[in-house]
Amino acid sequence: MTQQTESAVGAAGAPRGAAPGPALVVRGLRKTYEAGTAPVRALRGVDLTVRAGEFVALMGPSGCGKSTLLHLLAGLDRPDEGTIALDGTRIEELGAPRLARLRRRSVGLVFQFFHLIEHMSALENVSLAALVAGAKPAEATARARDLLDQLGLLDKARELPAALSGGQRQRVAIARALANRPTLLLADEPTGALDSDGAAEVLDLFQRLHAQGQTILMVTHSREVAEGAQRLVRMRDGRILADGEPSGPVEVPAGLRAPR
Amino acid sequence: MPARDARAPGPRGAVRLVARAELRERRWSLLALGVVLGLVGGVVLGAVAVGERTATAYPRLVEAVHLDDARLIVPADRPALIEALPTLPGVADAWLTEAWVAQVDGPQVQYMSLAAGTAPHPGLVTPVIVDGRAADPAAADEVVVSERVAEHGTGVGTVLPLRMLTLEDMARFAVGFTPHGPATTVRVVGVARMPAWGQALPDVLAGPAFARALAGTGIGHAAYVRLDPAPGAAVRFDEAVAAYAAAQPSIVGDYLTPGVEHPRAPDPAVQAAERALLLGVGLFALVVALGALQVVGLGLLRSAGTARAARSVESALGMTAAQSVIARVVAAVPAAAAAGVLGAAVVVAAGALAPLGSQARFEPVPGFRPQWALAAAGGAALVVLFLLVTAVAAAFAWRRRALAVPEPAAPRAGSLAAVVGGSLGRWPTVLLGSRLAQAGARRGVPPVVTVLAATAAVAGIVATVPVGASLDRLVAAPQRWAGGADVTIADTREPDVVALVEDPRVAAVAITDTAYARLASGGTLGVVSITARKGTPPVELVSGRLPAAPDEVAVNPRLAAERGLSAGERIDTLATDGTPRPLTVVGLVVVPNENHGPLGQDLLATADGLLAVSPERNFPLLTTHVYARPGTADALAAELGGRLELAPPTVPDAIRNLGDLGRLPDVLAVVLAVVAGTGLAHSLLVGARRLAREMAVFSVLGATPGQVRTTLGVLAASTAVPAVLLGVPIGLGVARLFWWQVASTIGVGGDIAVPVGPIALLIAAVPLGAAVVAAVPVRRPRTPAVTSLAAL
Repeated sequence: MTQQTESAVGAAGAPRGAAPGPALVVRGLRKTYEAGTAPVRALRGVDLTVRAGEFVALMGPSGCGKSTLLHLLAGLDRPDEGTIALDGTRIEELGAPRLARLRRRSVGLVFQFFHLIEHMSALENVSLAALVAGAKPAEATARARDLLDQLGLLDKARELPAALSGGQRQRVAIARALANRPTLLLADEPTGALDSDGAAEVLDLFQRLHAQGQTILMVTHSREVAEGAQRLVRMRDGRILADGEPSGPVEVPAGLRAPR
Repeated sequence: MPARDARAPGPRGAVRLVARAELRERRWSLLALGVVLGLVGGVVLGAVAVGERTATAYPRLVEAVHLDDARLIVPADRPALIEALPTLPGVADAWLTEAWVAQVDGPQVQYMSLAAGTAPHPGLVTPVIVDGRAADPAAADEVVVSERVAEHGTGVGTVLPLRMLTLEDMARFAVGFTPHGPATTVRVVGVARMPAWGQALPDVLAGPAFARALAGTGIGHAAYVRLDPAPGAAVRFDEAVAAYAAAQPSIVGDYLTPGVEHPRAPDPAVQAAERALLLGVGLFALVVALGALQVVGLGLLRSAGTARAARSVESALGMTAAQSVIARVVAAVPAAAAAGVLGAAVVVAAGALAPLGSQARFEPVPGFRPQWALAAAGGAALVVLFLLVTAVAAAFAWRRRALAVPEPAAPRAGSLAAVVGGSLGRWPTVLLGSRLAQAGARRGVPPVVTVLAATAAVAGIVATVPVGASLDRLVAAPQRWAGGADVTIADTREPDVVALVEDPRVAAVAITDTAYARLASGGTLGVVSITARKGTPPVELVSGRLPAAPDEVAVNPRLAAERGLSAGERIDTLATDGTPRPLTVVGLVVVPNENHGPLGQDLLATADGLLAVSPERNFPLLTTHVYARPGTADALAAELGGRLELAPPTVPDAIRNLGDLGRLPDVLAVVLAVVAGTGLAHSLLVGARRLAREMAVFSVLGATPGQVRTTLGVLAASTAVPAVLLGVPIGLGVARLFWWQVASTIGVGGDIAVPVGPIALLIAAVPLGAAVVAAVPVRRPRTPAVTSLAAL
């Protein structure tokens, strides 16, 4: 399996952002939602740096702002304040088309509920991402087949998502997220909808991708899953609470030592 | 054990509670849908009411005026026939009036026919007065006139100084005369409506006092007959009249009365217009009804779909599907009632609308005519329909309460989606759009239904455009119905013709002559000849060629269709001495309406051919059609009118009726476009919004807003392009067929005018408009992509 994964990333090529240096730099990120009568302050000043090749788990209780942060990093939403530098490019002021182009070049996204297109086969779901990224049709199909092969799903390439198990669907979703060889792989609760076997399978896959140099930022509720990452960032109430190795002592950011 | 609470709600109580909650939650949206259905349903039912009024105008007028079954003019020198007429075979009742022909004193040469009976007959010929009043039976100077005379300026209040012609004067019509009958003056007091004015029903009707005052001075009698309902009565009566006429020749020959008129026979002029109107109204009602059903059905489905969670709870609590559906139906009752009341009100209001187009001229009861029965039945039907659609939507929502995602199927190898997706896969927008287009089958309204509805709408619009253009062309180009002369002189002598030929203002002069040909199989056919004396008078040749030899004829398209005649075929006629005289058909041509009957009944022959068929022509006068050079027509007409009898510029009834349709085809096309466009736009918008999740995924993968729009455009095009590809040829085919039928009914050329511009515009606008509409949710997203994904 390790051999498979090695060749998987190898075949797809090394991530373009794998060069030394930060893949992601976030400074002073704030986001408030107007929900009903009371505004919800989802992010209250987040600073975060993810180095190229790091595997970071982002953990915290529901409503702490993890998913909001992830969506801002992916350019799916805009911050009220703060800066985001992805692969060296400031994204917070980009227009929708440039954000889309940045996303197709540098970001891969994996969701808790897979979000595969139900009416496209596994192969087409993966090919679509490669096509959007600019690959030629034959190249996109070859890349998709290769990724599915490496993730052990080649025999399911013609199947529709509805015919796959949860773990298989999530693996297709991961293959799709890798199809554009992203600088940064963002995963929002990727094991949340899976049983323990499926969750272990996905975590194992992420670890092997990390071993090949893939930068990963994974949101999770699960302590067990978070421990599989290289670094653990804890969030609460829209702020980073702690940052460090999952099993070691965590560094509490200076701003949080004396709450405002 | 505690006693069971007698007031504890059982299933019925649960249904009531759910219904109440549903009503509280959705009363406004339900009411809005009820109002939409009521209004649109009312419009559809109103169209039915107007269609019914239009379709029945003619038969209702026939009954209202007690239209006679047969009528004829009997010259005064055939007293035996008029005496025997009430007792002839087939006659059940008869009203005999005296008939006059009068010269109207004035600057123009003008003649009028009048009829009056010494006593009115309540069961025969009782015209509806639409302006003014009926003539006073005791007043000898009061008359009513037909609407067509009133349209030429002789309306209520007009005073007509008349000099009556004797029968001897009539016999000298072709050679000149001075009227020898009495002089009198009458005043028009009313305008009368009848379904069929004709030679035997003069346009001027006077009362009994007039008849008594001028008794015995007319040129004969006009007789109106109610025939015995027994089969064959008409034939027996006609034969008896013919026998009397043969036994007692008149000094005016047969030209006054070529035969018995049967005014109840179907009038092609009325039928053609009626058919066009009813098709238009039917198409309008169908498209509006489909559009309304689509909007209301989708609205109710969407409304029901938003309450899936509630259904899941109801299911968990043990409610059955039937109970859940009944609760929704009960909650929908007020909205259904609103739909019913509103729909019925619209139907009642539609009673203010007159019959459409030309048929308004046959309405016996002008003004408000509400259709209470239709309003009641239509209102009830709308109530039932609303409740039914609610029940279906509720049942559908119940089935989907568990949020089960239907298992999709991969595109079949060789299917259109697979081919499109495969060959154009270089564009992710096309790949995704084609897959989603096929997936639409499992996401609500099957795409084939939307495509078929759009196809029907496109076909309808395309069909109305050429029909409207052909109609305009027909009305605007008199040569297409063998009209268009600037001046028509009813009574021309050779010196007049010579003067016209030498007149530099005249571009062309044509002389027409008429006769009746006796068919070997029985009956007669009108024959017309046209002789060009100057220039090239226009003749509308439909196919083949014009007759060049005495034994050749061209036939009118209507006659050809009725008798199955085409070029090369033979018509067997008899010469006056009874010897066979076959005529060969050499072409189809629009024959001038010289015999004053419906357009399209005659043959066109050469002048020699006409004389060979009937040496004693039925009307010893030549009609001259004068085509003036540009800018000289008015002066020419004014000058000629002072010394010759000019025929008033008349348009055949069939053309006039079609002309009265006016802009109706264009209005219909616009209404169809608006209704169908709204329905299609609604369908596409709903479809695009249903795909919010897929579009969000696409966006997450890096698709730009433009690519998302293009994908939705591809999706919309998958509906619009087939609709255009199918709808345009179908519409053109329907238009061609319909116009051919109308044209052959009235006897004009059936070639259709196809306005390329509007149709090309439609072909471009439908897919483009659909793509733009489908992309609206991208331009103004209700839900950002991230929210769409987070919600699932």
